[in-house]
Amino acid sequence: MPQTEKAQTENSSRDQILQWIRAGLRAAVKVEEPAAVSDRLIFEPVNNPIERFQQECVANLMECARTADSAASARQLAEALQPLPEGEIFVQDDPSLRQLVELAELGRTIRWSTQGAPAEASQATVTLAEALIAQTGSILVTASCGGRGASVIAPCHIVYAKIAQLVPDLTTALSRASQGQTFDHDSFACVISGSSRTADIEKILVQGAHGPRRLVVILQTGT
Amino acid sequence: MQRKVSLFVPCFVDQLLPQVAVDTVRVLRRIGYEVEFPEDQTCCGQPAFNTGYWDEARPCAERFVKVFKHADVVVCPSGSCVTMVRTFYPDLLAKSSLREDALAVASRTFEFSEFLVKVAAVTQVGATFPHAVTYHASCHGLRELHLRNEPLQLLRQVKGLKLIEMTRSEECCGFGGTFAAKFADISAAMGTSKAENIAATEAEYVTAIDPSCLLHLQGILGKRNAAARTIYLASILAQEDPPQKSPPQERP
Amino acid sequence: MSTAAQRFLQDAAVKSADLMHREIIQRGMDSYDAAHLKGRARIKDWEAARQKCQEIKREAINHLDRYLLQFEEKVVARGGHVFWAANSEEACAYIKNLATRRNVRTVVKSKSMVTEEIHLGPALEKAGIKVWETDFGEFIVQLREEGPYHIVTPAMHLLRGQIATLFQEKLGQKIESDDPAYLMAVARRVLRQAFFSAEMGISGANFLVADAGVIAISTNEGNGRLCTSIPRIHVVVTGIEKVIPRLDDLAVLWPVLATSGTGQGITTYGTLIGGPRRPGEADGPEEFHVVLVDNGRSQLLADAEQREVLHCIRCGACLNICPVFRHVGGHTYGTTYPGPIGSVLTPHLNGIMEFKHLSYASSLCGACSSVCPVKIDLHHHLLQNRRNATEAGATKSSERLMFRAWRHAMLHPRIYALGGWLMRNSLRMVYGLGLVGSILDPMRVWNRYRAPVPLPSESFRARWRKDRAAN
Repeated sequence: MPQTEKAQTENSSRDQILQWIRAGLRAAVKVEEPAAVSDRLIFEPVNNPIERFQQECVANLMECARTADSAASARQLAEALQPLPEGEIFVQDDPSLRQLVELAELGRTIRWSTQGAPAEASQATVTLAEALIAQTGSILVTASCGGRGASVIAPCHIVYAKIAQLVPDLTTALSRASQGQTFDHDSFACVISGSSRTADIEKILVQGAHGPRRLVVILQTGT
Repeated sequence: MQRKVSLFVPCFVDQLLPQVAVDTVRVLRRIGYEVEFPEDQTCCGQPAFNTGYWDEARPCAERFVKVFKHADVVVCPSGSCVTMVRTFYPDLLAKSSLREDALAVASRTFEFSEFLVKVAAVTQVGATFPHAVTYHASCHGLRELHLRNEPLQLLRQVKGLKLIEMTRSEECCGFGGTFAAKFADISAAMGTSKAENIAATEAEYVTAIDPSCLLHLQGILGKRNAAARTIYLASILAQEDPPQKSPPQERP
Repeated sequence: MSTAAQRFLQDAAVKSADLMHREIIQRGMDSYDAAHLKGRARIKDWEAARQKCQEIKREAINHLDRYLLQFEEKVVARGGHVFWAANSEEACAYIKNLATRRNVRTVVKSKSMVTEEIHLGPALEKAGIKVWETDFGEFIVQLREEGPYHIVTPAMHLLRGQIATLFQEKLGQKIESDDPAYLMAVARRVLRQAFFSAEMGISGANFLVADAGVIAISTNEGNGRLCTSIPRIHVVVTGIEKVIPRLDDLAVLWPVLATSGTGQGITTYGTLIGGPRRPGEADGPEEFHVVLVDNGRSQLLADAEQREVLHCIRCGACLNICPVFRHVGGHTYGTTYPGPIGSVLTPHLNGIMEFKHLSYASSLCGACSSVCPVKIDLHHHLLQNRRNATEAGATKSSERLMFRAWRHAMLHPRIYALGGWLMRNSLRMVYGLGLVGSILDPMRVWNRYRAPVPLPSESFRARWRKDRAAN
């Protein structure tokens, strides 16, 4: 039996609700139809994506380090991990990250994403991203970037990205995800715009809630 | 030929705050308008309408339309009453035989400050009021009639007047018609917050374009023995140099 | 008067007089106001943004069946389950039965107002399942055994000292400080154990994206991320009205939701989930269930005047600006949804007879409508609810009679003038006899908090007639 039919037979209210919805929609609604509003009117266009991305990172309490090449990126990675206590690092299993980790000579236990989810006690995770978004200082990750936990379980998340991945705004990032049919091959994606935080006590901002306290972007401009 | 306006006096102004209407007439005459007052008028229907009794409000609204049908221009010293006519009569009288007349009357009905600035195109009315004044932005005038600048433009032209901005001038004073009786505790708490903001300006007077707000605030301020007194906008504009009489005593 | 109305009046009286409460809320709202202004400044044309959001939601709601079916098809094709629940009971039963069948002992929950609406927590607890609220504010109010105070910031009515004391009492560990960062770290440690041991994670959804077939969740803390990544079953509980047509729509909805909700340009995490983990993915739940809750929403569709109430994106901006909310607080409403949206919505979801008083507990100032990012005409809907209440015969007969008398007077100017004259002179007598505030004082409600109204010697019309006769 096809999935949708199976769902129908196990869910007796489904048809009833659809019936109610259709009956409700038949009610005449007084609607003035104003001209559709163009997205370009809403946000100031981003003319200087690199500067904008870096500004937004600062505002989002993220760290963004620009590097010229892999060697410099490897040094940044080592520097970012250096102050962290002893413990496992989880890394997305990708050739560029394998190379980076080797260059960095970390001397830590590495758990690769192909071995499974990050351990609860991981000190940091290192992943790639699908894209960087200048408008909001965001990184877009998917399940292909080491899984879901990779960007949230450890207190420090490090993203290794290339400048070509930077897009100006949310519209571009989302339409690319649509066109690329991201969700045909990834069950999950996330637009991350800073370290985790809360203001639930007296509206006072606390950086580092359940997710990472530190989000570091290593932005490599060269090869 | 002198220009003429018809005066629409809110029922509570007629009965409790007649000076509001007297001063409105004075200012209109001073800027060159003849004022007629259709004595047949009673109420626009707002109290019943706001409480949900649209069937009781409807005949009042129809009567109002008939009373003012032949007026060239209708001026009213109350943002909430003008809102009733302009914003709500179209819906309330949607099925009435007087619907077209209602839309016509609505298009010719103006709040006092709105009339001065947008129709008469006047901001300088020759007023003198050498006192510190703060402005409360009454909700209907602000959000339904979109009158934000007009009252301030008029106040800025008053000789000697020191205009002080209060914190949260656009927050509701808490009157809300029957709300003041049905939810008296909340209404009073909101009024008290407004009174505190008024006191913080150290202004001698608080003014607005809605005398219902001022009636409520007068009560709250009076109970607190506050220094500030309420005064309706036209009552400020009616003051000339030399003063015709001492500033209005708004307490019984 | 319904018991809900009586309770509301009592609680409102207490809270209106509570100056400490007022100060805490005022401080919180001042903080929000400042952040919100900054957030608004990041958007070039705020009115265009509002209009765009209104258009998106209008399109979604006006074709609700089509978009829900599109969403369902995609989720099911990826191995997810979609359950349509007519009401709270069906939704709770589905989730409870699922949990029981899968031997779920512990649930971690991220914030979802719909789960409050359907009373999911108690239903699961009754089945012997431990439910952890993991949103920091929800975690706090869960320990206090009360509902959320605000739909976005559930614990904004509490000071840090109270929270520290609460943790000391309820968490069985020594609390060394009331510093917010310290308290968050305590909660993090406690909840981390729950995240890594729970068999089921339950979340809400801010949006259901039809063309991509994904749910979208906007959060800041990371608890929602952990709830939807680690446990082997993920259940989404959502109202049917949360659907939007396209993934691209999030480009404006996300920033607008964040700006209106907290003043941020965008929330820290904009999570998109389309199904259970796929083969080859490092982690993720094995099962994905979306529970679509109707619970009265399809009825609101049929209301030609008020269908747009379903556009609400639950940002909380109307609560923040509402002067009534600021003076009585979220708990006074006694409903799942407080504030202006709650007052408009609750009579539709829970019955007009019991909850009409909420539509009257407003001065109709219109501030809510002016800030609503999807341009719902909230305060006019309150007026319509009042009309609906009188037409349903839900108001007091004494009041109906009073307005009938009022109408008679207003249609007869001489009766009106006489009535006014009688009122002024009877009040004059009451004042003269020193009976202000007594049972004989018709204005005693007014006079409880205000100085008596002025009593002019004559009405304006009398004076006008006199002046005219003199000339």
